[in-house]
Amino acid sequence: MPAIEVTQLHKRYRDTIAVDDVSLTVESGEVMGVLGRNGAGKTTTVETIAGIRRPDRGEVRVMGLHPIRQRRELRQVLGVQIQSAYLHGALTVRELVHLYRTFYPNPVDGAELIESVGLTDQRNQRFEKLSGGQQQRLSVALALVGNPQVVILDELTNGLDPEARRKIWALVERLRDRGVTILLVSHLMEEVERLCDRVALIDAGRVIAMDTPTGLIKQAGLTETVTFRAEAFDPSVFDRVAVINDVEVRGNQVTVAGAGDLLQAVSTALVTHGVIATETRLRQPTLDDAFLTLTGYTFTDSTEGSQ
Amino acid sequence: MTTTTVPTATRPGLRSWLVLMVSDMKMVSRDTAGLVIPIGLPMLILVMNGASAGTERLPNGLTVFDIYVLPLVLVMVVGTIGVINMPSFLSYYRRSGILKRLGVTPASPAMVLVAQVVVSFLQTLIGLALAIGVSMVAFSASLPLSLWTALGCFALACLAMYSVGMLVAAVSPTPNSSVAIGLILFFLLGALGGMFGGNEMLPDAVARVGEMLPFGAAVQALSAAWAGETPQLSHIIALVATTVISGAISAKFFRWE
Repeated sequence: MPAIEVTQLHKRYRDTIAVDDVSLTVESGEVMGVLGRNGAGKTTTVETIAGIRRPDRGEVRVMGLHPIRQRRELRQVLGVQIQSAYLHGALTVRELVHLYRTFYPNPVDGAELIESVGLTDQRNQRFEKLSGGQQQRLSVALALVGNPQVVILDELTNGLDPEARRKIWALVERLRDRGVTILLVSHLMEEVERLCDRVALIDAGRVIAMDTPTGLIKQAGLTETVTFRAEAFDPSVFDRVAVINDVEVRGNQVTVAGAGDLLQAVSTALVTHGVIATETRLRQPTLDDAFLTLTGYTFTDSTEGSQ
Repeated sequence: MTTTTVPTATRPGLRSWLVLMVSDMKMVSRDTAGLVIPIGLPMLILVMNGASAGTERLPNGLTVFDIYVLPLVLVMVVGTIGVINMPSFLSYYRRSGILKRLGVTPASPAMVLVAQVVVSFLQTLIGLALAIGVSMVAFSASLPLSLWTALGCFALACLAMYSVGMLVAAVSPTPNSSVAIGLILFFLLGALGGMFGGNEMLPDAVARVGEMLPFGAAVQALSAAWAGETPQLSHIIALVATTVISGAISAKFFRWE
């Protein structure tokens, strides 16, 4: 049984179609990333999976449970961190963790949980007095308080500094190692590449690609490039090298594009022809490039407005 | 963790209800502005009404203030807190996203609603105790002749008003509209129940309807208890019916956001 199964989900708000047709399956123990521009339908999709929204069409099952009809059973096994949620502002970190622990039959240890998100020093501070990043970390902690088998994390490192971000990533990696199924909505390519087994790319309410991060890059048909510097370079050096598709010379800067073992092929050709090359670099296509190719949008540009 | 046992629907236990209540209490007590209405309002209404009511004694030793003003004031206070104040507090919880967050935990709507009612009720009790204390000193008010009946009627009045408030919070489309609907409903129930100068001034048919609505029924029942009489069964039934019907509808239509 897959941990999460979504079939032909459709949801509209008045005259806006938020989710047009989304189907995805997350296997037990898998970390699935959900990527997409703002307004692509990511949050509506995960909120429907979490049982916060009722879909207009389509089916959702989490651990075989219907998110609305079997709400009570689902809440025992599903931990959710949602973007627009807020907590009791006048309560301290420790009081909030204590409150949320009592909701679950088999909660995790409160002090350890607070430590794992680095809030031990702030444990007696009120929620409203915490910084945005600290509030975010507490919100992630509370998604894990009930010892869930499935976790939904919507923009979990939003507003965190690099150090806090790494700490949260380590926390997610520990969850993954324990076999917890994770659905992770993200804006950060680095986060997705590091944490996710597979990625669903959502655009205009539809899944346009679903694959491993490297698989997505392959799907986008992107090639590797090698760049180096050489004086008065003659491009015919690469004439007989099969893996090279394209050579571009601009002054003493040379860019070679191709597939396969490109770096090896380029080095061999250069040595054979006695070319002295400096600053040789291999540039592999990133998820960012794949996103651009598959959606037609630059990922970074499309997300700037929301940050 | 890797085992995929079919989860069972364990409900949060009594301890969880208590912790949620204590949390709500802390929320209220750490926000001083929130204490003004439940603590300050009863005092204000009492002083305003008490100053104009007569203090001559009736044959049973009570004053007009005791039999008419005090019950009316108590119901006004419970009505204000239950029908106006509480929906706006709940809509703050809803607007800020606290309810949405609680909605993805195993906490049930009933837990959230009951915790709100209990905490609100405790504040009301503190406010009313102060108000009655003051009126006994300043207006030489007497305690009800049937004390236990009065307490019972008061508890019923609270339940009825709170469940009407819950209904307002549950059915109003936006946070602002819940305050508006609460206000209108409060004045409507109040006017029909004799809040503006006694229901003798209303047409007979209107007064009869008003007496069967929670405000009027509560005033009549409390007034009877104060005078040492047995409250009419129809008033008690009206209060119980309001509680059951509004409570059921509000639980049914409860929304987390």
